[in-house]
Amino acid sequence: MKHSVTVAAVFLALGLASLPARGAEHPGKEALQKNGYHGSESCEECHPGTSAAFLETVHWKHASKVTNVEGLDPTKEYGMQNRIYVMCNGNDIVNNLKEIPKSPETGKTKFSGCNTCHPGNHLSDVGSTGPEAQKAVDCLVCHSSDYDFRQRKPYKDSEGRVVMGQDRSTKAALSISKPTVKNCMVCHEAAGGGVVVKRGFSFTKETDAHAAKGMVCVDCHKAKNHRMPTGLDPNNWASDGLLVSCADASCHGLKPHKDADLNRHTAHIACQTCHIPRTGGAFAKDFTVWEQGSDKFYEPTTLKKEANETTPVYAWYNGTVKNTPHFIGPKGSRQDGKSRITPFKIFQGKAFYDATSGQLLSMDFAPPMANGDTRAGVASAARTLGMKDPEKVAKNAVPGWQTIYFGSNHLVTKTKSLSCANCHAPNGILNFKDLGYSDDEIGKLTTPELYMKKLIEKQKEDW
Amino acid sequence: MKNALALVAVLALLAASLIGFSGTAQADEIKMVGVITKIEIAGKDAKSATVTLKDNKTENLVVLTVNDDLTLDKFKDHRIQEGDEIRCKYEVIDGKNVSKYFRKTAGC
Ligand code: HEC
Ligand code: HEC
Ligand code: HEC
Ligand code: HEC
Ligand code: HEC
Ligand code: HEC
Ligand code: HEC
Repeated sequence: MKHSVTVAAVFLALGLASLPARGAEHPGKEALQKNGYHGSESCEECHPGTSAAFLETVHWKHASKVTNVEGLDPTKEYGMQNRIYVMCNGNDIVNNLKEIPKSPETGKTKFSGCNTCHPGNHLSDVGSTGPEAQKAVDCLVCHSSDYDFRQRKPYKDSEGRVVMGQDRSTKAALSISKPTVKNCMVCHEAAGGGVVVKRGFSFTKETDAHAAKGMVCVDCHKAKNHRMPTGLDPNNWASDGLLVSCADASCHGLKPHKDADLNRHTAHIACQTCHIPRTGGAFAKDFTVWEQGSDKFYEPTTLKKEANETTPVYAWYNGTVKNTPHFIGPKGSRQDGKSRITPFKIFQGKAFYDATSGQLLSMDFAPPMANGDTRAGVASAARTLGMKDPEKVAKNAVPGWQTIYFGSNHLVTKTKSLSCANCHAPNGILNFKDLGYSDDEIGKLTTPELYMKKLIEKQKEDW
Repeated sequence: MKNALALVAVLALLAASLIGFSGTAQADEIKMVGVITKIEIAGKDAKSATVTLKDNKTENLVVLTVNDDLTLDKFKDHRIQEGDEIRCKYEVIDGKNVSKYFRKTAGC
């Protein structure tokens, strides 16, 4: 560890901090070249215990205990492994990686499953434990800058088991570094069913101020023993118990501006509100009706936009989450002393609900993908989950909508950040009434009195 | 919920007027969905690639020039490979079909 700190210091001193990490050679390279790469065991020689520790993280388990969401069992773990919502109407269990039924039109099949976005090999799957699982961790998917993605795809082995391939070549192991943006984006770019679908999450110099400065994911998401810090997205429940925030003292703190008028706002307004004025990605999906593509397979009907093409919705947020069959989103209020006005990407999805309990049902995508039969997907999922009379559950299931608020924490801008009039003009982006301000207060919050002097000065500067 | 929806609609209008983001849609862009039949790229440092797509609608072969770094990188490490279905937009510049948008179609 000392080593890399010194190296980093030297880089900083030379003003080269923004160079790609691959500039620094991995000290294990020679040994790997000599002995070859045989999976995580090869790393264990010099980084003992890493694989075992990795098995305890969200990236392996796709679940953790969750304390900020209402209506959950505090002794259970939740995440992509077992949750049911309408961005992707299934989970790792009901959508376990498999070959889907043959298309009646083409006679072709394909592999599909949620647990492809996992650094195991599927034989050692999400949440698996023990020595076999340790050996199955694909260290290189996050650490190699020379990974051949032709290897990273599902296939059937000689015993007919579905295996998720990995690039285990020595060549790939010779280009080890801290994870680059690309490494993280292997899974994060296409979360939610395709590039920028879930969040419009694009991390390029055009779309994000930090990317433009040459920063990478792990400059902010600084992992400790592979536990990755995250935030409080109302819809990303699993966490490794570490938090990262724009206002962290090691980043910007709560008074990042020279302008005291701006700093005064940070007590009640999240940084993201002014600095992430836009969002993107899918804004509505229908899982009850799937559309046929040109390959004759079916996909959920999806309306989507590019990064920065949609506007967020604003709400008070105190970090706790309302969770009902028809709504997942922020809790908070102007009065509770803990909330800030925060931007969210809003999304609505239609799926099937249980006729008796009113709970949202999940769907196995294999049947509808092959032939469009979405109720067959509900039946299959109900069977996997051990529900009573799956056929009946599916037959009686009732279509309905769920609205979800997603955190909006990337796509950061400085030049397009909101200024006084964006909020304090009568047609400003905030609906002060909905946010709990009285008519009297709204009058005071929507007068140019607040910003006239300041913006006149700015206008003069600009000309 | 009505409120939130109304808010979204209002916001969409407002944002268009208040924040002068440039739109991305352009009149002379051609859209296409097709399967990659060939990728030609000259080595690790190549700054452009030539890709042949078979248009799903017409079954015609269309040859595209791809210049953007992110997509080139995906050719280099094979995150995008022959046989992948692509949704793309391109413009004809100096007789060449220059890609402006090149994404693997992918489902949930
Ligand atoms: C022969 C010993 C050796 C082997 C084998 C080895 N490493 Fe390392 N590795 C080191 C040393 C020494 C360091 C520097 C000290 C540290 O950060 O722990 C290091 C550092 C690292 C770093 C931090 C790099 C940075 O820029 O901060 C990563 C990541 C890493 N190794 C991953 C791996 C992976 C993955 C494998 C297996 C493919 C592996 N190592 C195999 C010795 C080795
Ligand atoms: C391309 C990789 C990828 C695939 C495939 C994928 N996911 Fe995810 N999923 C992610 C990532 C990355 C996150 C966390 C980050 C985020 O939400 O943006 C996530 C988060 C989730 C969450 C929220 C987890 C939590 O902690 O609350 C759910 C639920 C989920 N996915 C469901 C699914 C379902 C269902 C499928 C299959 C139909 C699926 N995902 C397929 C990458 C993927
Ligand atoms: C999901 C992505 C991911 C996978 C898979 C992964 N790592 Fe890491 N690794 C990281 C991140 C993120 C860091 C921290 C980088 C930072 O903050 O500088 C890290 C850091 C390291 C370090 C530096 C020391 C430390 O703990 O901070 C070593 C060594 C390492 N990883 C080895 C491995 C080995 C060995 C494996 C396979 C068993 C592996 N990694 C799998 C993401 C991953
Ligand atoms: C192999 C696929 C994969 C790779 C590679 C990957 N992730 Fe993830 N990541 C996921 C999935 C899936 C989830 C959601 C799991 C859940 O919530 O159940 C997730 C969740 C997260 C979360 C929120 C939960 C947590 O652990 O705090 C963060 C933050 C995150 N990833 C950051 C990163 C970073 C940074 C990198 C690059 C070093 C990275 N991821 C690489 C698949 C991946
Ligand atoms: C400039 C710092 C920064 C960089 C760079 C960054 N993130 Fe984040 N990310 C954050 C912060 C801060 C949060 C949480 C904010 C909150 O909830 O208050 C976050 C949240 C997340 C989450 C949780 C879901 C969400 O969107 O809220 C995921 C997953 C994630 N980041 C992945 C990534 C990946 C992958 C990259 C690289 C492509 C990346 N981040 C780059 C700061 C950063
Ligand atoms: C009320 C809106 C608002 C809020 C809230 C806000 N900012 Fe800003 N911020 C701005 C504006 C406007 C600028 C100036 C942009 C410019 O100079 O072009 C700015 C500039 C910045 C800069 C660049 C400073 C410089 O001198 O270049 C940083 C860094 C920054 N903000 C971080 C934050 C962080 C961190 C938070 C949350 C603690 C935050 N901001 C909250 C509106 C806001
Ligand atoms: C993101 C929207 C937003 C932006 C941008 C913004 N404000 Fe505000 N401002 C608010 C909100 C909301 C409040 C009320 C906060 C509260 O409840 O204390 C407020 C309060 C104020 C107040 C206190 C008014 C009172 O009667 O208590 C002043 C003064 C003010 N803003 C001036 C400015 C100036 C000057 C700028 C530009 C530098 C600016 N604001 C930018 C949203 C914004």
